[in-house]
Amino acid sequence: MNLETLRKQDVRKRCEEALMKAKEYQSVLNAVVTFYDIEEQLQNLEHVASDAPLYGVPVVLKDNINTKGVRTTASSVMLDQYVPVYDAHVVEKLKQAGAIIIAKASMDELGMGGTNLNAHTGKVNNPWDVQRISGGSSGGSAVLVASDVVALAIGTDTGDSIRKPAAFNGVVGIKPTYGRISRYGVIPYASSLDHVGYLTAQVKDAALALEVLAGRDDRDATSSYEAVGKYASNINSDMKGKKIAILGNVMDEIQNEQVKQNFDELMKKLEARGAIVERVHFDDQLMHLLLSVYYIIANAEATANHSNLDGIRFGLREDGDTLEEIMMNSRTKGFSSNVRKRFIIGSYALYTENQDKIYKKAQKVRRLIVEELKRALETYDAVIACAAPDVAPTQKECMNGKLKKIQQVADNHMVLGNFSGYPSMTVPTGYIDGLPIGVNITTKPFDEQTLFDIGVAIEEETGIQNQCAEVKV
Amino acid sequence: MGHLDKEYIKKLAHQIMIDVNDQEIEELQTDFAHLLSQMQLLQEVDTTGVEPMVYPFEQEVCYLREDHVDHCITQEEALKNVKEVCLGHVKLPKVVK
Repeated sequence: MNLETLRKQDVRKRCEEALMKAKEYQSVLNAVVTFYDIEEQLQNLEHVASDAPLYGVPVVLKDNINTKGVRTTASSVMLDQYVPVYDAHVVEKLKQAGAIIIAKASMDELGMGGTNLNAHTGKVNNPWDVQRISGGSSGGSAVLVASDVVALAIGTDTGDSIRKPAAFNGVVGIKPTYGRISRYGVIPYASSLDHVGYLTAQVKDAALALEVLAGRDDRDATSSYEAVGKYASNINSDMKGKKIAILGNVMDEIQNEQVKQNFDELMKKLEARGAIVERVHFDDQLMHLLLSVYYIIANAEATANHSNLDGIRFGLREDGDTLEEIMMNSRTKGFSSNVRKRFIIGSYALYTENQDKIYKKAQKVRRLIVEELKRALETYDAVIACAAPDVAPTQKECMNGKLKKIQQVADNHMVLGNFSGYPSMTVPTGYIDGLPIGVNITTKPFDEQTLFDIGVAIEEETGIQNQCAEVKV
Repeated sequence: MGHLDKEYIKKLAHQIMIDVNDQEIEELQTDFAHLLSQMQLLQEVDTTGVEPMVYPFEQEVCYLREDHVDHCITQEEALKNVKEVCLGHVKLPKVVK
C-alpha cells in the first residue's frame, strides 16, 4: 500500500480497514502490542486541514514511542502497565499532519535485540514465511507494512533495528541522519546511537514522511537546525555521474550465490544508467571490530539510560522492606534475563577501572571506523552493500548463530550508520524462494535526498514497489 | 583480563540493582569470555592521539534556553504511574531508620 493509493479511499473506511486487518492478522503475525480505539482521532480530524500530508492516513508506532494516555511498554514487563502522560515529538508531528495511529507494534525489549524474539508478547512472525523471524528491534513495525496493514510505520534504529527488519520483510526502511528527527519522548536504548526512523512500502513515501517528521526540536539536545528539504518533489532518479562505492568487506563475506547475483545485476543496471560504480575496502581489522565496539557502547549507554526504571515513579513495582529491595526486586522481575545480562556487561564496561581500557577504547575505535566511511564519502555519493547476507532466518537458525561468525561484517555492517550518524536506507531488491532481500545505501550527513534518488532508481530497475506479503489467516 | 568469578558478576549486578541466578551467571561467564577475547583485539588497534567519539557530530546544537516554564505536567499526571501514592507524594518504605 502506498500513500497515493490510500488517499483515493474514504478516510474512515481506510482507517477502519487498516485496524481491522491488523486485528485479523494478529493471530498469525503477533506484531501488535496494543490496538487503538481510533474514533476520537477520526473526530479530531475536523481540526486538521484536509490537504495535510498524512490526512487520515493510518500509521503504526513502535511501542517505545510515548503516546499520551495509551500504554507504552517497549515490549518489557517493566513497562507493561506504563501509560505516558505526554506525546513524543514524532507523535505530535504525525497528529499535526493528520495521521491516525491504529496500533503500537512489538519490538525487542527496550530495543535490545535484532530478532524480535525478545519481546514479552513473544515472537513476531515474518509475513512471507511465518516460521521465519521478522528481524528487530522494529520487527512489528516492519511486519505491519510488509503485510499491507499500513503504508507508514515508525521505528527506531540503534544498530540496524529498522534497516535489517526492512530487508527481511521486503520493505523500505530508513534511518535518517542523527539529529534529523527528534527523539523527545522515545524510550531510549543507547543515546549516542539511537535514531528515530520509519518503514514504508515505497521510497517516495519515505521521502514524504521525512518532510513530516524531520526538524529542530528544542526538547532533544541533539536535534539539528539543518533545513528540511522537499525530498519527495525533488526526487531525481537520474544516475548519470553518480559515484557509488560497493563496500567490499561486506560483499566478500556473502556466501549465498543468489544474494550476490541479485546485487551484481543491480549494480550493472545502475552502471547502465550512467552511475560510476566502484568497489572500496575499509580496514579489515576495524571492520571485524564493528560488533564488539557496538556491544560495548550500546550496553554501557543502555545501563546508564535505564537506571531510571526503578519501579518507584513508574513501571513495575515489586514489594520490598526497603527502597533498595523494591528497586532490586522490581528491576530483576521487570527485565528479561537477556536484558539484565546486557546491563551487567554495560556495567562492567563503565566500571572506573575498566572505563579507559574498554569503554573509551571502544569510543576511540568508533572514531577510526567512522573515518573509513567519511573518507569513502569524500569521493563517492553513496556507499552500498547487501543489507543482510541472506534471507530472514528461522527461529532455530537464529538461535544457532553459526553463520554469524563467518559473516560477521556482512551481518553487522549497517551499524556504521549508527556510529557515524550518517543517513542510511534499506530498499528491497528481489526474492529468493519467495523471501525478500535488499540493499543498504548510506550517504553523507543530511543528504537524505541522494538516498531517495538512488532508492527510486533501484525501484525503477527492480520493479519492486509496494509489494506486500499475502497473509493467510 | 581473565575469568570473571561468580561473586564478581553478582557484585556487578547488585551495583545496578538487579539480581541474577546461577544459570544466568554461567551464561554471563561465557559471554564475558567472548567479550574479553574481543577486548584483546580491540587493544591491538593503535588509537594513539585519537579522541573518543562520544556523539556522531560535534557541532553544538544545544544552548541554554530562556528560563520560562513550558511543557509542564500536573502533579496528578506526575503521579499517574506511581503504584503507591500518599497525600500527593510517592509512598516508599521508611528510609531513615
